[in-house]
Amino acid sequence: MKTRKIGALACAAALALTVAACGSSNSSSSNSKTLVGAGSTLVAPLVSVWQPEYLKEHGVSVAYSAIGSGGGIAQITARTVDFGASDAPLTEDEFKEAKEVVQIPWALAATCIAYNVPGLSNHLKLTGPVLAEIFMGKITTWNDPKIAALNPGATLPSMKITPVYRTDGSGDTFAVTNYLSQISPEFKAQIGNSTQVKWPVGIGGKGNSGVGGALKSTPGSIGYIAIAYVLAEEFDYALIKNAAGNYPVPGIASISAAAAALKEIPSNNEVSIVNPPASAPAAYPISTFTYSIVPLSSPKADTLKPFLKWAITTGQKFGPKLDFAPLPAKVVQADEATIEKIG
Amino acid sequence: MSSASIPASGAPRLAGAQRKLADRLGDPLLRGLTTLATLIGVLALGALVYKVFELAGESFSKFGLGFVTSSEWNPVHNQFGAADFLFGTAVTSFGALLIAGPVSVAIALFLTELAPRRVRRPVATLVELLAAIPSVVLGFWGIIVLAPAMSETIEPALNSVLGWIPLFSGTPAGFGLLPAIVILTIMTVPIVSSVTRDVFATVPTELKEGAFALGATRWEMVRMVILPYARSGMVGALILGLGRALGEAIAVTMVIGHTPQITASLFGTGDTLASRIASEYQGATTTLQISSLAYLAAILLVLALIANALARLIVRRTGLRGQAPSSGAPTAPATTPTAPVTSPSGALPHPGAVAPAPGGGAS
Repeated sequence: MKTRKIGALACAAALALTVAACGSSNSSSSNSKTLVGAGSTLVAPLVSVWQPEYLKEHGVSVAYSAIGSGGGIAQITARTVDFGASDAPLTEDEFKEAKEVVQIPWALAATCIAYNVPGLSNHLKLTGPVLAEIFMGKITTWNDPKIAALNPGATLPSMKITPVYRTDGSGDTFAVTNYLSQISPEFKAQIGNSTQVKWPVGIGGKGNSGVGGALKSTPGSIGYIAIAYVLAEEFDYALIKNAAGNYPVPGIASISAAAAALKEIPSNNEVSIVNPPASAPAAYPISTFTYSIVPLSSPKADTLKPFLKWAITTGQKFGPKLDFAPLPAKVVQADEATIEKIG
Repeated sequence: MSSASIPASGAPRLAGAQRKLADRLGDPLLRGLTTLATLIGVLALGALVYKVFELAGESFSKFGLGFVTSSEWNPVHNQFGAADFLFGTAVTSFGALLIAGPVSVAIALFLTELAPRRVRRPVATLVELLAAIPSVVLGFWGIIVLAPAMSETIEPALNSVLGWIPLFSGTPAGFGLLPAIVILTIMTVPIVSSVTRDVFATVPTELKEGAFALGATRWEMVRMVILPYARSGMVGALILGLGRALGEAIAVTMVIGHTPQITASLFGTGDTLASRIASEYQGATTTLQISSLAYLAAILLVLALIANALARLIVRRTGLRGQAPSSGAPTAPATTPTAPVTSPSGALPHPGAVAPAPGGGAS
């Protein structure tokens, strides 16, 4: 009995000591060699390729949680992570709330319009105004004359159109609403441009996989998903008419064309390339940059700055396999200037 | 230890000077640690409730109680209201109960009355295993299996046969209120059936045999003896199931379609309180949106606490004996144990240990 009691006391003491030791060792190593980030699901596949490569080259481990662009903004505002990632640039209010952060465009991708209509072939042609009316609930069936006019020769069923959207705070939502708000003032007034909006019709899915699942199980549905997901799951996707009147296939070439049309980069690094002008004939209209959001003064600046510099230069070579286009030189230059400001 | 006195419980009855130090410390230590644990539990509950209500303060001061009746949820225009989610919560929870109730009673009857003895244990375990399925796995199954089945088979069939009822009119879809009801049913059946089974097991055999002796068929015995006897226990079980259904977030949010609306058709999409909080919280950027989500959480907390309190009240008032005597207020017989109903397997006494009900029993 006595030995059993002593044994129990000894175990408890050992446990307490171990916990205390862990606690102290954690705090002493908190500044070295780890970075924690959270945010956009669009950039998550690229970050997960960066993580082992950067660890190999520089010995720094990067942890990343893909909780959505809205989540990334919220976390960096609360400073619970070292860097946030968002497909949507920060609004003025968000800049104020986040206090002294900068946004650094560090990857370039696109949002596709995928659909599931039995009997309809791939590459349906749609325009921005028609898309806006579909998502506002004004065009309700697939054989609507407006869609038929764009696709002579295609047999359009009389099925009801069910729009599918993202329920979480999503950069893909931002890219699509950004594009449609520029195309249609009515869309802008009724729905607006943000990472989370109120869609008047349709069903919501959580994350890209939720939208994919909704599309697969709802015949007649149409929704927006990140390009990598669409190509990997082999969804049918629409070709969207750009300002020059062409229907470019979403891919590295058309995304790069959209980015090349960028004239100048504003001081807050907000680069919107949706709806590129007619001077970019091969540009895909719903291309989007995605940003890393970092505080201007960070306790981990010495680890953060090299990582960001690596991401916008060496890291870009891992992009094309995942359907990310490389950053144009103009943007890399502006990014490097911004990174220098971090301290 | 000395073999002289090994007490079954309580402190050893040794003279003061002979008590070991450990034993002298034991009593106060026991009291201290258990009080501390209880305090932590109570304080955690209090702190959580307080924090939720505090977070909801901004939204409450902007929208007041009109929030509960407002049907507008628009993060871009900063308009928030809970009416659509209250509707969705009510429809999905009560819809699930409507199906889970009869199914659970049937399962309980089968397991207590009709199944061969050897089959009872395994089948009962299987049913309770349904409760062990993680809700996210159920939601995943919902997206991959249930949604296509709904949109291709089940809903079109319902539409063609019962389409004249507004409940089953509209376009069949894979996501919506009906798949959410199905998933919630799967989650509540194990709880309700388990508690109901325990309640049925307490029905005294004397009553059942008496009914048989009077010439009743098995169905008549069930209808006249078991069901009335277990009535309030069944109600308690249903309310427990309701508590579970109210709070279910992940599985529901994966199949319900996330549309804040009030619709007459079960084929339509909607949203519930828990599901909206789960899907929007991480991406909410404005403090007003976070505060409105906390307001939804506060409403949900109140509903869940009421449901739980109601269940306990019903069970305690009639002490699980279930009878509402024709003479009026229910009285708990003297030997009724106050067994807690909350654990699905129940800490219920062996049926034989319970004294028979007073004469004014089965109707």
